[in-house]
Amino acid sequence: MAKWGMVIDLEKCTGCQACTVACGMENNRLPGENWQDVIFFTEGMYPSAQLKWFPRPCQQCENPSCVAVCPTRATYKTEDGVVLVDWNRCIGCKYCMVACPYGVRFYTDEKPLVAPDMRKVHDSHDSHSWNPPWKMPDAREDWKHGVGIQPHDVVSKCTFCYHRISKAPPGTPDLDPQDPKLREFTPACVVTCAPGARFFGDLSNPNSEVSRMIGDKRGVRLLDQLGNKPQVYYLTGDGGAVPSNRAINKKV
Amino acid sequence: MSMDLLKTPITRRRFLQATGTAGALGVVGAGTLPNFATLTEAQATTGKSSGQTVITKSFCHQCPARCGIDVYTTDGRVHAVYGTLDNPLSNGKLCPKGHYGQYLLYDADRFKGPMKRTNPKKGRNEDPKFVPISWDEALDTLAKRLNNLRDKGESHRFGLLFGRGWGATDADLFKDWSALYGSPNIGINHSSMCSDASKKAKLCVDGNYSYNSYDYANTNYILNFGAGFLDAFRPYNFNMQVWGHMRTKSPRTKVTVVDVHTNTTGAAADRSLLIKPGTDGAMALAIAHVILTEGLWDKSFVGNFADGVNRFKSGDAVAAVFTDEDIRNRAQAKEKAAAEKVAADKVAAEKAEAEKAKTQEALAKLLKEQLLAKGNPAAEKAVAEKILKFEKAEAKKALSEKIDREQREALDKDKKPEPEIKAGQAIFNEKWVHGLPEWWNAVLKDCTPQWAETITTIRAKDIIAVAREFATTRPAIALFERGATAHTNGTYNGMAIHSLNALVGSMFAEGGLFYQMKTPWGKLPDKAEDFMDDYAKSPDRKKPRIDKVKTADWPMASNMMQEIAKNHNEAKPYKMDTVMFYLTGPIFSGPDCFAWEKMLGETFVVDTSPYPDETAVFADLVLPDHTYLERLQVASTYPFQGYPMAMIRTPAVKPLYDTKVFGDMLIDLGKRIKGPMGEYYKKVGNTENIIKAIAKGFEEKPGDNGVNGYESFREKGVWFKKPYHWRQIRGEFYEWDKGTKSYSKRMTAEGVKEKLLMTPSGKFEFKAGYLEDEHYVHYIVEKLGIPAEKVGFPQYIPASHAGGGDLHMVSPKLALQAEGRSANLPHATASMQPSVGGRKTVYLEIHPDTAAKRGIKDGDRVRVKSSVGAIEVTARIYGGIRPDTVALPMIHGHWGMGRWTKNSGVSGSTNEVTPNVSEPISGLACYHSGKVFVEKV
Repeated sequence: MAKWGMVIDLEKCTGCQACTVACGMENNRLPGENWQDVIFFTEGMYPSAQLKWFPRPCQQCENPSCVAVCPTRATYKTEDGVVLVDWNRCIGCKYCMVACPYGVRFYTDEKPLVAPDMRKVHDSHDSHSWNPPWKMPDAREDWKHGVGIQPHDVVSKCTFCYHRISKAPPGTPDLDPQDPKLREFTPACVVTCAPGARFFGDLSNPNSEVSRMIGDKRGVRLLDQLGNKPQVYYLTGDGGAVPSNRAINKKV
Repeated sequence: MSMDLLKTPITRRRFLQATGTAGALGVVGAGTLPNFATLTEAQATTGKSSGQTVITKSFCHQCPARCGIDVYTTDGRVHAVYGTLDNPLSNGKLCPKGHYGQYLLYDADRFKGPMKRTNPKKGRNEDPKFVPISWDEALDTLAKRLNNLRDKGESHRFGLLFGRGWGATDADLFKDWSALYGSPNIGINHSSMCSDASKKAKLCVDGNYSYNSYDYANTNYILNFGAGFLDAFRPYNFNMQVWGHMRTKSPRTKVTVVDVHTNTTGAAADRSLLIKPGTDGAMALAIAHVILTEGLWDKSFVGNFADGVNRFKSGDAVAAVFTDEDIRNRAQAKEKAAAEKVAADKVAAEKAEAEKAKTQEALAKLLKEQLLAKGNPAAEKAVAEKILKFEKAEAKKALSEKIDREQREALDKDKKPEPEIKAGQAIFNEKWVHGLPEWWNAVLKDCTPQWAETITTIRAKDIIAVAREFATTRPAIALFERGATAHTNGTYNGMAIHSLNALVGSMFAEGGLFYQMKTPWGKLPDKAEDFMDDYAKSPDRKKPRIDKVKTADWPMASNMMQEIAKNHNEAKPYKMDTVMFYLTGPIFSGPDCFAWEKMLGETFVVDTSPYPDETAVFADLVLPDHTYLERLQVASTYPFQGYPMAMIRTPAVKPLYDTKVFGDMLIDLGKRIKGPMGEYYKKVGNTENIIKAIAKGFEEKPGDNGVNGYESFREKGVWFKKPYHWRQIRGEFYEWDKGTKSYSKRMTAEGVKEKLLMTPSGKFEFKAGYLEDEHYVHYIVEKLGIPAEKVGFPQYIPASHAGGGDLHMVSPKLALQAEGRSANLPHATASMQPSVGGRKTVYLEIHPDTAAKRGIKDGDRVRVKSSVGAIEVTARIYGGIRPDTVALPMIHGHWGMGRWTKNSGVSGSTNEVTPNVSEPISGLACYHSGKVFVEKV
């Protein structure tokens, strides 16, 4: 069984947010409900001024804090290494959101980021929380794996595009979007990443490029000291650094 | 995603079937719901689910780049847009904007069909009270108006203004329409509000009125002046693809960015320099100065001093020709060198003689030892060994000397003869450039880095470092865009920057830059000129354009859209009667946009956007176009990798509403014009006929992907034919040879002049013949105050800054900013990066010191005002911007665009504080030259 993981090369990442927008399109996210986000930091004054960015999907931890705290076992880890939410079981208690050190979980019924509320403009007459005209094919919806438009009062998160990767031929070491045979199984953010900063593959397969890159290019994990063991690795090269936790007070 | 689709290649037959199915399930049975099918109704008709996903080929609409896209449609519903994998521009990738397609298609605020205004009063806050009408009524109404104008001899009072033209099915129709109808104002483009100075700067120095193609993949250095390479510069998607390559290849491409604030492009670079707005030209000139004084220019492309001696010394002029004194000095120097050589040879000979004597002495000593040792076998053996060792050493020495001598002789043999230099001969032999010594003398000799520091605020040491890196890390590209050119000195800034490309030999070189080849489209069967009536042919039709282009006011510009409202309001040269807009909205996007409200308030306005916008608020007729995923449309590539490329949009779904593709609107309108013009457009029929006819061009020239006509074009979505045809290699130009598959057909100077360096001299002109043309020189002298003898040279003249404020203001475009429409896309608004926006709004970037002086804190509401007007916005304290500059992205501040723009937090367009000032040569609107006051609200 594969252990899916992602490698993000920060030296190549241009901060364009195509990953965020492609994810929102593929997974029918609301404005700002960015399962895959790019976080921007600014610091200092020219000539020391810095503008940095940090792409952040769900870290798909080996030891996920969210799974441990879920009272209904709605949040679970699949055999192929992905943390998912079963919307049939989720009661929206948000324990997982508190437990997650990476802030990658979203509660459905938040106040809309941009008014008027898109959920009202494209309202749903059934158990879905909204009904956009661009929503994914009906056959793809899979609440057990947190795929599709979720019902009200649940938590949602990045699935590594589980509806895509779970159909990949068994034993595939890497899901390379430039390979026409594998493209449709590759997560949306990896497919579209123009500078080619994202790689997706089987961390348990010694023949995968992702395994090799983690070794050769000194892949690091976010907040590794917490012991969650993310399955998302960052290559920092000369281009960037994994940001530490810090609050920036911009008030002068 | 249906797995069947993946396992089975989509055949043409299946493709058509599937598209047909999707279409039939599409929407709006004609006649049943004439105008206002709602989205819910649209969805209801798609209820029957086949689950089959169809991929339709199209190309993106969110910027001019034209990336190939795969549109995913299932059960008549578009749910995804991805880059096309076998498309050389998108390579399966997209920028963030590319994924907006489905939101734009299903935009809840779309116009649902043609409408007419019923409220005669016009104004920002006047409800037009539109009522739906049929297409026949809409087009008949407009045609009647246009026929009336013709009857009165006032056809010039109809204007058609456009922004993003795509090609054969829209922009290419304007020329014929203009000629047949008889108005010079049909097809006035927004290029003067876009980037005309970039093109004009290139025209001046290398003869190409065009943007460049850049061979980024092979370049080792990018020096970028004010182009948002990782923000908005096209083709953004490809820029990022190649960025991933450039930054990880060996050697890594080094990047210096010159801008007025730190954007993503600057932050990702190796060096970010914040320059005083409008002074980029001074920095480029100083870089040229360093390249010349340090002898770093590319001799094989530029040429060299005839005697190889660099005479470019700061402050010193270079003579044009050798004088008698030069010849005397040269002879003297030669004599001196000869005398020195004789002396040196003598010393060497003496030394050799002494060495020889020493050797003989040593040998004699050994022979003596040999004699003495005779009889003593041990001693004999020892001496024999010594002698052997000595002989070996001597032989080795002799061999080494022989090799030295032979090598020296070989070198002497290969040595080029000293150039014969005569008095009166040019000191500098120019190869592919024209006017370098003259440029040096007139301008460059005084453009020291220290001089530039005082103008640009960039430290001289940084300028020197950049110059050395740029000239020695070849191939190198000097890139520029509106940051450097949207100023009153923009064309000269651009010329100075582009000249750097010539100095380092990057023109048409691998890893350098060149120009885009054209698509070999087929011809249309009928010629419009055969359908011109006497009215159209009459000399009375020779009226000046409403934008006064090619008049004494703007003799050199291509378009002056930003002047139209002003000219109309002053009735100079006349008042317009009817104005139609296509993919442009100067009432929001034009500098000093208020002038347009007056003009549109008193003209008959036709808006063709699929969406509500500010133009529509003033519109008398709304003729909504299809959105791009509903269109059949073709285009040629924007300057990309040089080789020709063309793309096609095929409809992913049938139009959701009662809309009509713009080109068909124009053709159907043409059919309603009386006389032969109407006959012509009946023959043309529709845009599909045009596309089928011109796609025949591919039958003769099949693309690399096998596209050889209309059907295969639709299937693949793209036609292209590699490689780019020309290349400059070490100072010689070559054409591609199909036989040897290499750039090996040497070009003549005439060939280069005809095809590549299309200046009067056929060279890269540091003394631009175009500007020195007698038709223009006086205009430039008058407008820019440059002495006539100097107009041809790339030079720095200070920019002028209107607006009356104390802070420069720039209004950049953001990575998430789709062309024209993203302000009403919550998905875009919500994700704007926080340094410039985020969540609900965009911010005014202001330096901490600048803010503190005005008592402004992060998040405060501030008023930005100039002599034009004032807007209110939220401040973002940002240390990455110059203290003398503020930046406000141009996306928000809409007042007529849709429900999601109403609470954008920006009270008005950036153009409500941007003065209408244009660069005289190119006509480019100086969006970045205005000055504003900023105060706490």
